[in-house]
Amino acid sequence: MIQSKGLHIGYSVKLLEVEDLNLGAGVYILIGKNGSGKSTFLKTLTGSIPAFSGKILLNNTSIHTIPKSELPKKIAFVQTQFPVVDFLKVAEYIALGRSPHTAFFGKLSPHDKEMVQNALETLDIQHLSNRFTNQLSDGERQMVAIARTFAQGTDVIALDEPTAFLDYQNKAEIIRKLLELGRNHRKCIILSSHDIDQSVQSGADFLAINQTTGKIAHYPSGTTKAFLLEKAFQQK
Amino acid sequence: MNLSRRNRIFLFLLVVLLPVIAIWHLFSGHIEIDGTTFWNALTAYNGNELQHIVVWELRIPRMLTALIAGAGLSVAGLLMQTLFNNPLAGPYVLGINSGASLFVALAIMAGIPMLSSDLGLVANALIGAFLFGLIIVFFSSVVRQQISLLLIGLMLGSFTSAIVSVLQSASGLQELKLFTLWALGSLESVTLEQLPILFAALGITILGGYLVVKPLNLLVLGTSEASMLGVRMKRVRLLIILITAVITGIVTAFCGPIAFVGLAVPNLIRIVMKTQNHAYLLLGSLLTGAIFLLICDIIVQNLQGHFPMPINALTSLIGAPFVILLVLRRLR
Repeated sequence: MIQSKGLHIGYSVKLLEVEDLNLGAGVYILIGKNGSGKSTFLKTLTGSIPAFSGKILLNNTSIHTIPKSELPKKIAFVQTQFPVVDFLKVAEYIALGRSPHTAFFGKLSPHDKEMVQNALETLDIQHLSNRFTNQLSDGERQMVAIARTFAQGTDVIALDEPTAFLDYQNKAEIIRKLLELGRNHRKCIILSSHDIDQSVQSGADFLAINQTTGKIAHYPSGTTKAFLLEKAFQQK
Repeated sequence: MNLSRRNRIFLFLLVVLLPVIAIWHLFSGHIEIDGTTFWNALTAYNGNELQHIVVWELRIPRMLTALIAGAGLSVAGLLMQTLFNNPLAGPYVLGINSGASLFVALAIMAGIPMLSSDLGLVANALIGAFLFGLIIVFFSSVVRQQISLLLIGLMLGSFTSAIVSVLQSASGLQELKLFTLWALGSLESVTLEQLPILFAALGITILGGYLVVKPLNLLVLGTSEASMLGVRMKRVRLLIILITAVITGIVTAFCGPIAFVGLAVPNLIRIVMKTQNHAYLLLGSLLTGAIFLLICDIIVQNLQGHFPMPINALTSLIGAPFVILLVLRRLR
């Protein structure tokens, strides 16, 4: 699904080197310290910012050759902060995920409406559909944001610290849902986190940022915490 | 985002109310004109009848000016608030009016270009509005926090009013009077011949507004989310500033700086309609803005003779407390 070749990331200076990746359907947790470049990596991978050098391929097409209007049909991105908007209902917010597919005025087709309904059902949040988005709890917000990306119908979903403000149970619930999406709906989901304990228990793969060597590498699920700490963080 | 029953009724009421208020406005004013005379003026115009002249030269242009200015400024305010993701944004607060004012002041008092023609004044106001719009766009890409942008807008306002003060103290009595009258704001100086310019500006505003409905609906999520959902920010931002500059520049040139309409009306509409679908917000703002300014002008006309009340003072008297209420509401 998503591949990288000789990828280096960074804004004006080279920040990190990415070992060549080949990520299929599934969940990948990007771990690294605060300020190690997690967001930069996610933004680069999703085409929000250009790569410093190297290539990112989405189903064998370089994402930099995909027009800006087409990219949101293939890659979705969820930022850490859920946008606080008055008078925007959950269903309407999720419907905005359809906007890369809708015509000029953004009118929803029956298929678009079906996708929104699907997203609500898949994430088990039908009961929130008529709630205003600024009346949601932190956990509900993340579910709603994920539902929006699901409605967007992309193969790739990137989430920047989706569990940052959540308690243990909500974190587990979000990761469980993401694993389900990856498995049952064949999506490539990459999320960043700095909670190693919970990430290790989740059964997801890892992308770990090693700040000493300046490299990002892929580790399979089942990698132990000790191994990750040692290899990825070079801490003993 | 379908139109709820409640909002359908609300918009329907506005559509009904607008012509009622507009007709009421036509019959307000110093000189009594009854229905029959009015009808005669419309159907069998007689250039020797004072009342017929009043209808065509004063009443109709003034009513249409109020309608267009109110509708246009409200839409401009809505576009700005959504673009900058800030309920306190608007052509007045962000200094776009100030730009228009400065250039009009330069035209009237420093005698820079073409004072003699109204079109010259309009051109100046347009250039000023657009220039200051661009300055705001530049700052909006530099500063991270929206509150800084509002501060910059306010500073632009102070800066230009300082320059205007300098111009005022250096200019002759005649120019000073001319500028002061312009700055007080008035809906009565537009002639029948100038109305097409105002209509064209409103047309551009409405058309432009509807062209960007989809980006506007996404912009409520913030610029970075919007651009990740496919909104071409640079293009949309420029288009919105252009639309705002055209309507603000032209209305300001003809009517003076009319404060707070663009700020208060869209906020009110969002609160009443409880939606973020800009197709409906645009329509609601358009109609409410027109109704609001018509009512303000009816009050101004009824006070005339007892108590001089410039339109700009009245909109501020109503608008400023409203903004305070809005801020308090958001703090809660």
